[in-house]
Amino acid sequence: MHLAPVDYLILIVYFAFVLGIGWTLRKRMSSSSDFLMAGRSVPVWITSLAFIAANLGAQELIGMSASGAKYGIMTAHFYWIGAIPAILFVGIFMMPFYYGSKARSVPEYLKMRYDEKTRTYNAVSFAVMTIFSSGISMFALGELLHLALGWDFNVSVLASAAIVMAYTFLGGLTSAIYNEVLQFLLIVAGFSPLAILAVTKAGGWQGIASRLQPVMTHAWTYMGSTQANPMGVEVFGMVAGLGFVLSFGYWCTNFLVVQRAMAANSMSAARRTPLIGAFPKMFIPFIIIIPGIAAVALAKMGTGYAIPLDIHGGPDYNQVITTLMAKFYPAGLLGVGLTGLMASFMSGMAGNVTAFNQVWTYDIYQSHIRKNAPDQHYLHVARVTTIVGVLLSIGAAYVAQQYNNIMDLLQLVFGFVNAPLFATFLLGMFWKRSTGHGAFSGLITGTVVASLTWCLTVAEGKGGVLGNLHVFPSAMAQSFWIAMLAFTGCLVVTFVVSMATRPKEEKELEGLVYGLTKLPDTSGEVWYQRPWPLAIAVCAILLVLNIWFA
Amino acid sequence: MMDLRLPSGLFFTVLGLILVGMGVFAPETRAALTDANVNLYAGLVMLAFGAFMLIMAKRASGKA
Repeated sequence: MHLAPVDYLILIVYFAFVLGIGWTLRKRMSSSSDFLMAGRSVPVWITSLAFIAANLGAQELIGMSASGAKYGIMTAHFYWIGAIPAILFVGIFMMPFYYGSKARSVPEYLKMRYDEKTRTYNAVSFAVMTIFSSGISMFALGELLHLALGWDFNVSVLASAAIVMAYTFLGGLTSAIYNEVLQFLLIVAGFSPLAILAVTKAGGWQGIASRLQPVMTHAWTYMGSTQANPMGVEVFGMVAGLGFVLSFGYWCTNFLVVQRAMAANSMSAARRTPLIGAFPKMFIPFIIIIPGIAAVALAKMGTGYAIPLDIHGGPDYNQVITTLMAKFYPAGLLGVGLTGLMASFMSGMAGNVTAFNQVWTYDIYQSHIRKNAPDQHYLHVARVTTIVGVLLSIGAAYVAQQYNNIMDLLQLVFGFVNAPLFATFLLGMFWKRSTGHGAFSGLITGTVVASLTWCLTVAEGKGGVLGNLHVFPSAMAQSFWIAMLAFTGCLVVTFVVSMATRPKEEKELEGLVYGLTKLPDTSGEVWYQRPWPLAIAVCAILLVLNIWFA
Repeated sequence: MMDLRLPSGLFFTVLGLILVGMGVFAPETRAALTDANVNLYAGLVMLAFGAFMLIMAKRASGKA
């Protein structure tokens, strides 16, 4: 891929705008809550797009297009089954407790609902995870830019991190959120022409389907058994493992996304943030996954496009997007596409940094290191943490570059820590009898169950270090089952220990638990501002999409 | 609070102008597999979107 001066011009214009937004917002940052929580004053269309954009990092973009090329339209389950139901659930059922409790963060909600140790366990594991996922994403982008454009890994990693640091340092969460919206729009602008051009060239969806194995263009038809599809997952594993445990665990408890909704300017807006975000989210597969599928068809047509190869001669699906851009985008549009890729990286990284920042400042620093300092002190700490967070992410990117195995292991461990989380929140919000000791021991049990499952089963030659009780057809199937078992373990132990320990007084739980909380009355609002009609509209479109691509 | 429609409208207007400029003054700029003047079409769409955002921002500031 070769860039023309006009492509660099577009990249520079983009950098100027993101920095300009940060610069304009710098004057409003007078307290720690302005900086870390956007003063809870952001309009709903902005929080909605930021809610989606913060999750749409470079790793997601590269990974999902690669998965499209490898597995076909089944990849869309990560959106249609693996995101939308959980997004609807957090908006309708959980946001009243998050927003209404006046908790400043997800870990702080755990402190109010359960106790300090549960909060600290969640806060520390979350803080470590955000740094590493930010680093891994940075590494993925640096690698890709090096392969596609020959850019130096160090320069692209350091330069893009410096820009993210500048605008989050200046304007805190507001700046991150505002830029995420711009970045989201740019991702759409940069990727949708590629989808249109690639699909048209491949003869439309019919043309693609006629050139590929039918399993590549059907999302549900081949899910009857694990042998029928290349993912090695069947309906139950997909719906219960990905659709329920993993996806609810991510969208409903991960502070990175919940933070965006909590920055909204009212309870009603906070609830609508995920619901409105679900509309664009459903269509993201069309601009990310479909080009990956089209690439495979194009490679069979003798158009001159070929799937890129890695150093071992196997297909390197991670480069599908950039090689397609090189073939389809002329100078000018190529700049927009590349800027879109940079934008996705930056929105993902800024999401991680701002979430890390708030959890560190409020849930770790303020509650364990220095309590009761004046607010200006915490504002200062938050600003310094922005810099530290970016520097740590850069460090993590270099660890990822040097030690691939360590990163694989870390991601595995994060999976073990995350898998049981949703059980803890589910019981906390909907069962007033659950206790802090119950939640904490449940979380630990869930993590232990997850680790044991991995140590006793094998998939793709991995796991099974303590024995081999079962062989999974794919690592994906293994991870779905690990999640389901961890969730169940956490649920059972939390229940048992809660019954044996003393619950909190009911008046301490007001606003935190279903049944003891006055739910917001939305009957006075127009229908398109009420949660249920929005959710039903999302479900209707979702149903059509699933039937269409079944 | 800054109205985000202003900077994003401005951004897409600038982007649209650059692409339309490419499409008009260098219409033969093509990639290996493109048959149409995609810079022009994509530029026009971005220009229209940018203008729409700017008009929305203008209307909102007029009301306030």
